[in-house]
Amino acid sequence: MTWPADDFIPTRYSLLSRLQNWDDHESWRDFFNTYWRLIYSFALKSGLTDSEAQDAVQETIISVARNIQKFKRDPTLGSFKGWLRNLARWRIADQLRQRTNVAGRPMDMAETDATEPDPAELPDSAAAEAIWENEWRVNLMKVALASVKSMVREEHYQMFDLYVIQQWPASRVARTMEVSVGQVYLAKYRVLALIKKAVSTLETSEIQIA
Amino acid sequence: MNPPAEMPVGTAPPPMVAEHKLLRLIDSGSGGDVWLAQNALGTYRAVKFVFRKSFPWAKPYEDEFQGLLKFEPLSREHDGLMDVLQVGGNPGSDYFYYVMELADDAQSGQTINPDFYQPRTLAYDLTQRRRLPIGECVRLGAPIASALGFLHQHGLIHRDVKPANIIFVNGFPKLVDAGLVTEMYQTRSRVGTEGYIAPEGPGTARADIYALGKVLYEISTGKDRIEYPALPAEMGGPAAARDLIQFNKIVLKACRTNPRLRYRDTGEMMNDLLSFQFCQRRPFEDKILPAYFSWIALLGGLVAGGAIIFLLWRMVSELLHHL
Repeated sequence: MTWPADDFIPTRYSLLSRLQNWDDHESWRDFFNTYWRLIYSFALKSGLTDSEAQDAVQETIISVARNIQKFKRDPTLGSFKGWLRNLARWRIADQLRQRTNVAGRPMDMAETDATEPDPAELPDSAAAEAIWENEWRVNLMKVALASVKSMVREEHYQMFDLYVIQQWPASRVARTMEVSVGQVYLAKYRVLALIKKAVSTLETSEIQIA
Repeated sequence: MNPPAEMPVGTAPPPMVAEHKLLRLIDSGSGGDVWLAQNALGTYRAVKFVFRKSFPWAKPYEDEFQGLLKFEPLSREHDGLMDVLQVGGNPGSDYFYYVMELADDAQSGQTINPDFYQPRTLAYDLTQRRRLPIGECVRLGAPIASALGFLHQHGLIHRDVKPANIIFVNGFPKLVDAGLVTEMYQTRSRVGTEGYIAPEGPGTARADIYALGKVLYEISTGKDRIEYPALPAEMGGPAAARDLIQFNKIVLKACRTNPRLRYRDTGEMMNDLLSFQFCQRRPFEDKILPAYFSWIALLGGLVAGGAIIFLLWRMVSELLHHL
């Protein structure tokens, strides 16, 4: 079974499969490390404060835990990316609603427990989708980068970071790190190659959701 | 003893501590509660309570108590360890406690106002200053490395080296949280703090070295340990950048993913830190090129040069002789 072509950003399907076992703490930890920043950034850009965004992350992860058993990989039902986005949006809407309740009207507990809130209360759909799409891509790079960090010699990563991410001139990196410019280029080449490989691996992971 | 006036919600009233008056809860976490206390002479102390209910079963609770008993006499033999002055309770009861010297106040140093007391930890300093000058990093790292080495020599492992567990007493850095100190290779349910835990797991001297390396990374770069090994974009002037890069070499060697590539022990790490502090010598460099190497090279060059000139002279003179 193939994934829809428009779902460019990879989902770690083997990981999702393992998540169906609630006792697999390592996989849940892996899942959290992979996706928490994505949900957190999405929540912040949807207008939540830092603490509200942290709550939204926690609540979204709990929602995933509650519903992952039911999640079947079926293109007609939507992708994991879309499913996670909806869960995150609903939990963000919960936070916004709680803010309103605290400010004025009494809180309706039944309402806050609802899985799918009134669409009218959700952040603007098109804008939210654009934010989510962007955050998904950024998160992918961060996850790939994090995995590559542990695969290369630390000095090479530092040269790559200064040269590519912080955009120092190669000569300055070489002078600061007390290496030749050639070594800077070599570090960049090696790390970039590994990042591309990591992204590619993430993109082409086997779908194992039953 | 009167119950403390200030009792956080959800915290049980503190048990009695012999000859001490408990004043205020100053820290509460999964490892236990820490109270500000005053002894009969009016000296301020910190008292940590470890509760049986914080552990899923009895064994780790009992192990923690046994670790504390081993740590208690050693703690007073090294300046880089927080002194444990008294231990009370027993592993058969609901709790045990230990009395420690008190950390400086974050604001007023050694002047303690119990109502506003906040312990000065390295974590607190980082929130205020973000990043420390390299000289200060070395002065802080060396005594902590020495304290760790002292524990390791006695077959103990700290397991939770991090900025929050480095406090200042009279301005001098000390390692705290005896709760996680354990014998080497013994397993524990509490295993340190994310980001400071070595990839191979805690419980060895080299895992402690890894954690210390991460602490040195944070204080020297101002970055979170999660960002390791990235360097800061702003390194200051050329001299500051040079110091950072040299210090970075010590950090990298302490934090290698492969434990066999790390410092063998804290003594080796101390050597590099002290070399850096007192000699401004570049770590590792003189191990590859000892000081006498340049003299040997010069002598070798002179001998080789002399031999070449001699051979040329011989060749030319023989040529002239044939002509």
